[in-house]
Amino acid sequence: MAERSVTYLWAMRLLYLALCGLIIFLHLLPLEPVSRFWAAPDLMIALTFAWVLRRPEFAPVILIAGVFLLADFLLQRPPGLWSALVLVGSYTLRSKALDLRDLTFTMEWLSVASTLVAITLAYRIILALLVVDVPPLSLSLVQLLMTLIAYPFMVLASQTIFRVRKIAPGEIDAMRNT
Amino acid sequence: MAKDRNQDNDYVGQLRKLLLAVLVLCLLAVFLVWRIDSPRVERFRAQVVDTVVPNFDWALAPVTATVTILRDFQSYQRIYQQNQELRRELQQMKSWREAALQLEQENARLLDLNNVQLDPRLTFVTGVVLADSGSPFRQSVLINVGARDGIVDGWAAMDGLGLVGRISGVGENSARVVLLTDSSSRIPITVQPSGRQALVAGDNSAAPLLTFLDDDDGVRPGDRVITSGDGGVFPASLVVGRVTQDASGRMRIRLSADYERLEFLRVLRSWPQERIEDPGSIVDPETPEETPDIADTATEEVPESDPADG
Repeated sequence: MAERSVTYLWAMRLLYLALCGLIIFLHLLPLEPVSRFWAAPDLMIALTFAWVLRRPEFAPVILIAGVFLLADFLLQRPPGLWSALVLVGSYTLRSKALDLRDLTFTMEWLSVASTLVAITLAYRIILALLVVDVPPLSLSLVQLLMTLIAYPFMVLASQTIFRVRKIAPGEIDAMRNT
Repeated sequence: MAKDRNQDNDYVGQLRKLLLAVLVLCLLAVFLVWRIDSPRVERFRAQVVDTVVPNFDWALAPVTATVTILRDFQSYQRIYQQNQELRRELQQMKSWREAALQLEQENARLLDLNNVQLDPRLTFVTGVVLADSGSPFRQSVLINVGARDGIVDGWAAMDGLGLVGRISGVGENSARVVLLTDSSSRIPITVQPSGRQALVAGDNSAAPLLTFLDDDDGVRPGDRVITSGDGGVFPASLVVGRVTQDASGRMRIRLSADYERLEFLRVLRSWPQERIEDPGSIVDPETPEETPDIADTATEEVPESDPADG
């Protein structure tokens, strides 16, 4: 039993890695190199937050850090800053996860939204303080909104396809004992 | 038992907090290093991209092709309309083709008359677009030629029609082309026929801004824009596009290059032009150097002897 759950755990971590890789791959497809007035949702962050709130052990901090740093490098962002902020954000969500477990999805969505807004604000402020080119505000806002809209779908997909669900209160002991 | 577990939890929690703090500090350190020594980290980024993205190549190309086919399929719905439009355009093109042929002949004749020598080193390397920047905030594409093919930072990239951008970041097998529309792109240009100098400044929109125009009058929408070659960054007279005016009255540039389908890009090999830095030897050709020794001393003495001459 213990063996199986350990392999399951690592399989899910690999799955997280693979999904993030897929998202980066989709971003890199040279479909629309022209500028647009809208921005695609940041699916990676939606995935990370959804999984962290459900099964934090599937998305350990070090994995999140590695994946987001790679994304920073590949997607031409200033390396390190966004991933550091995502780590902090996911940690605050992780610590709230126990309280959120019993509340409705709306509450969860709200807390994700507030975290995301805080991260985006901090990102822009730090970039502006260090005199780095700040991305256009309108584009950032559109991306933020799109990510928030995409979040419920990400949760739905996680729950139905990948079976990443919140643990019911009774299950914890069962999990611990294995 | 429950208390025990809590303590255990606390211990794990502390460890987790420590790990988080260390990771966040590391990431922020990476960011600060990038801020302080950007070129080195950007070179590292080019290496990372160079090792990662070409591995995806086998998947990137077919997926892109499939999506393009699906998109084209949508346009079948209005195929009749398109056909009509194409016929009309073809008519216009035929007349243009005649004009172009005549001009080509005339051009060849004139070049011949003037005995013009085109620079034989002005050649190009063609690359295929592998991937785009992947973020809506950056306008760049990755092409599959790199240091292996002799690509150097700063060279110009064109499609068949006009300037697309400049090389910025070269890996062994790939290079990044920062498009003219990227918000960090600034290219010196000349507006024809008035000959005004200006900069093309990308602002993340499809039509980059015309800035630092020394004088507004004489520049009208529809004027041709070509690179000026100032600063030795680009070869001169590459076609960039035409001037347009946006709703708020600012001058913008409609780019000639077809940004909708960037597939093959030409990277122009440009070599630094010879610089003439020693005015003395032009004005006064009487001081030829005979031996290397004298030449050395002569060049050293030039700044001192110059005022004496005058």
